[in-house]
Amino acid sequence: MSRALASPSLAVQRGILGAVLLIACWEGAARGLHLPAYVLPAVSDILVGLWSKRATLIDAAGYTLLEALVGYGLGCLIGIGLAVAIALVPALRSAILPLATAINSVPVVGYSPLILLWFGIGVSSKIVMVAMAVSFTVLLSMLAGLDRVDRRAVDLMKSFGASRFGVLWRLRLPTALPLLLAGMRVSTVRSVIVAIVTEMLGAQGGLGWVIYQAVLQIDFVQVWSAIFVASAASLAFFGLIGFLERKLLFWT
Amino acid sequence: MQAARLPHPGPAIEAPQAHPKPEPLLELRAINKTFGSVAALSGLEASVAPGEFVTVVGPSGCGKSTLFNIVAGLEEPDAGGILRFEGKSCHAADLLGRVTFMPQRDLLFPWRNVVDNAILALEVEGMPRDQARAKALKMLPEFGLAGFEKQYPNQLSGGMRQRVALMRTFLFERDLMLLDEPFGALDALTRAMMQRWLLDVWQKYRRTILFITHDVDEAIFLGDRVLVMTARPGSVKLEQTVDLPRPRRPEIVTSPEFVRLKRTLLDAIEEESMKSFQSSIVQEKTQ
Repeated sequence: MSRALASPSLAVQRGILGAVLLIACWEGAARGLHLPAYVLPAVSDILVGLWSKRATLIDAAGYTLLEALVGYGLGCLIGIGLAVAIALVPALRSAILPLATAINSVPVVGYSPLILLWFGIGVSSKIVMVAMAVSFTVLLSMLAGLDRVDRRAVDLMKSFGASRFGVLWRLRLPTALPLLLAGMRVSTVRSVIVAIVTEMLGAQGGLGWVIYQAVLQIDFVQVWSAIFVASAASLAFFGLIGFLERKLLFWT
Repeated sequence: MQAARLPHPGPAIEAPQAHPKPEPLLELRAINKTFGSVAALSGLEASVAPGEFVTVVGPSGCGKSTLFNIVAGLEEPDAGGILRFEGKSCHAADLLGRVTFMPQRDLLFPWRNVVDNAILALEVEGMPRDQARAKALKMLPEFGLAGFEKQYPNQLSGGMRQRVALMRTFLFERDLMLLDEPFGALDALTRAMMQRWLLDVWQKYRRTILFITHDVDEAIFLGDRVLVMTARPGSVKLEQTVDLPRPRRPEIVTSPEFVRLKRTLLDAIEEESMKSFQSSIVQEKTQ
C-alpha cells in the first residue's frame, strides 16, 4: 500500500496512457475500417451520443445506483450479520453455510424470473437480487476474517475475563476487518452488474433498461453510452470503498 | 529426586528468607497432565508465596508451557491433583481472570495505539476509557514509553512492544503475574535492560511473579527461587533459593555466588537434557 501511495502519479499516468492508447486504437479501427455502428461505433460518436442523451442517462444511472447501493448495503448487513451469528453460535455454521452455498451455486440471474414475479419489476426486485449476490461474498470473506484470529490472543482476552461477545467486539471483528473490506470492495462491481442485468430482464428504468430499449431500437451508440456510464459508476463505487478501506485499515 | 527440597504447608519449613509468608498464594500438588498417550506433567509440586519472584527453567519440551496454561487457567490438570489459590482449592478455570499472564509473543492489537493496548484489560473489566487512559498515561514513564502513547505497535521496537505488553499485564491488577519467556525474542542487550527494568518495576509494585524461561542466567538474576524442571513428563527436579542481595546489579552475574548457583542449576538441567536427548535417540533406533 505504501508503495502505491509513494508514487500515485506514476500509477495514474500509466492508467491514463493505457486508456488513451485503447481509445485511439478503437477510434482508428472504427473510422479506418468503416465499421458499421452496430458492430462498433467510434468513441467520438459515443461521447457525442452520451452528451446529447445526458439527461436520460443521468436519470438511469441514478436509478441503477440507487438499486445497487441499497442492495449492497442490505447485502453487507446480511452477510456480516450471518457471519457474526456463526461466530457467536458455532453450531449455526453447518446450518447456514450449506444453504448459502446451495443458493449461490446457481448464478444469481437464474433466480431473476422468480424474484421479478415475487417483487415486481420495480426497484425492489433489483435490490433483492443485488443483496443476494453481495451477502454471499461478504459472508464468506467475513467468516474467513473471523476465523483468522490468533488462538493465543483469544486466550489472553479470556484471561482478562472477556465474554464471548467481548472477544468478538474487541478482537475478532477488528481482525476480520481487512478481509471483510476486501470482500466488500469486490462486491461493489458485482452489485452494479447484477442491478443492470436484472434491469435488462424487466424494469421501469435504469441503465440496464436503457440498454435493452436501445437494442430494440437498434441504437448501438446509445447502448455504448449506457455501458460507459455504468462502467464509470462502477469504478467510482469501487474507488470509494477502496478509499474507505485504506482509511480504516491504517495498521496494515 | 532426593535433591528436591519441597516446602510443605505449615510453620516447620520456611518460605524464602526475603519475605517469609506462612500461606502460599499458589500451590500445586501432585499435578499430572496427559495429552492422549503423552504425559506432559507428572507429579508436579510447587508453591509460590505472596510477593515472591519465582523462575522456572527446564530443558525444551519439559512441559513448561503446559504448566503455564494450567496456572493461567486455560487448561485443566488431570483429576487427582490439587490446585490451591489463596489457600482455597480450585479448578484451573477458576484462575481465569484472577491471574494475569503474558505470553511469549506480545500479542498487541495492531489497530490500538500504545495506551489503548495497555488498557485492554481495564476496558474489558468495564472501566470507562477516559479513566483507564488517565491511569495508563501516569504509568507510561515507568515503562519507558513516555511520549509514545499515540504510536501504533508497528512503529515500535521489539523491546518497546514487550514493555507495552508488560504494562497491559501490570494494569490488570491481579496478585499473581505469569510471564512466559517474555524476553525470549529480544537481543541480548535489550534483554539485559529489560530484566533490570522488570526488577525495578517488580520491587515497586510487589506483585507475585511466576516467570518461565529457558535461560539460566535470567532465572538466577531475577528470581528469589528457581525451579528446575525434569525432562518430560515434567515435574520439579530441584528447587534452588537464590540468596543474592537485592537490588541486583548487572555485575552480580560474575560474582562467585552467582556462578556457583549457575553451576548447580546447569548440572541439573544438563542431566535432564541428556535424558530427553537419549530417549529420543533410543526412539530413533527402535523405529
